[in-house]
Amino acid sequence: MSTAPPTDRERTRSAVLQGIRDAVMIVLGYIPFGLAAGAAMAQTDVGPAVSIASSPIVFAGAAQLVAIQLLDSGAGIALVVATVLIVNARHLLYSASLEPHLAGWTRGQRMAGAFLLADPVYALAITRFERAEGAGSRAEQLGYYFAAGLTCLVGWTGLTTLGVFLGGFIPGWVPLELAIPLTFLLLVLPLIKDSAGLVAAAVGGLAAFLAHGLPFGMGLLVGALVGLIAGGVVLARTAPRDPDAAPDARAEVGHG
Amino acid sequence: MGDLLAIVLSGVVTYVTRVIFLISKRLRPPQRTLRYLPLVGPAVLGAIAVPGILAPREVFSLPETIPAVVAALVTFALFRWTKQIVVGLVGGLLVWWGLLWAVAALGWA
Repeated sequence: MSTAPPTDRERTRSAVLQGIRDAVMIVLGYIPFGLAAGAAMAQTDVGPAVSIASSPIVFAGAAQLVAIQLLDSGAGIALVVATVLIVNARHLLYSASLEPHLAGWTRGQRMAGAFLLADPVYALAITRFERAEGAGSRAEQLGYYFAAGLTCLVGWTGLTTLGVFLGGFIPGWVPLELAIPLTFLLLVLPLIKDSAGLVAAAVGGLAAFLAHGLPFGMGLLVGALVGLIAGGVVLARTAPRDPDAAPDARAEVGHG
Repeated sequence: MGDLLAIVLSGVVTYVTRVIFLISKRLRPPQRTLRYLPLVGPAVLGAIAVPGILAPREVFSLPETIPAVVAALVTFALFRWTKQIVVGLVGGLLVWWGLLWAVAALGWA
């Protein structure tokens, strides 16, 4: 007895549910960081409304913390904005990396999607879009991306809000600092498909560790760039230079 | 009001970094870099994960680093085995807590 193949609507619905499920797992991993970030923001003289509003407006934990702490220390608006720009410069890499996969989206869809392009959303999206069985139809892509992105946005905002009001009640004897690194380890594993990817992740990680003391969170950006270069060297030595075989050949597809 | 304006402008510049290569055919990364874009994910996510594993509580030392690295290896193994993020995460945290307790009980901390 055979079953009918799923319809487009059913496949899209499945992608939406999968996006929500994957994002919930990420949000669970973010509980300690979200609560701690909210609690840290509550310790400043910046009002709780502004601290909470920073989550849906900026949607980038490290940059939010830096911005609130700078405001607390009396920094001017220009310095705060410039620092956030530096801390979030890695998102340039995200948009460049996702662009080939979103080529079939309309301009409005890409502009809306960009708002959600935070670290975990990028990780979920790139993992989904580069999986062996393909990214699915455009509707499935959109369904997965926006379901995952909005779930992460709502989850992150909820966690930081809780942290602002309840952070002081988390017992200090519960160590949770490793939850975020383990979450990102789990996100990076599916992306490592060859020796170049492995070298990019390992060298990028070690370089970021060595550069950890740099101001404004620059260690992360430095580490990522060093990892990119190291992985690129390996890729250049190991992969054939066939432009048609490169995954970025999809970048030639025009925008909608 | 100034604080809120700073946050709003921070959101604007953050959005610009996220949208810049997605809005126009003209704004594209250089052609020669396109083949390396699949490495962005591993490089950036590795740069986030590894420092936190080597110094999970901002301290790089044997009693702090060894339990975290072992927990990361367990997380890796559980994920390879089950393909479930939550299994890897919970398993890794449980192992980390157990090792931290053992380190403290043995007086190595």
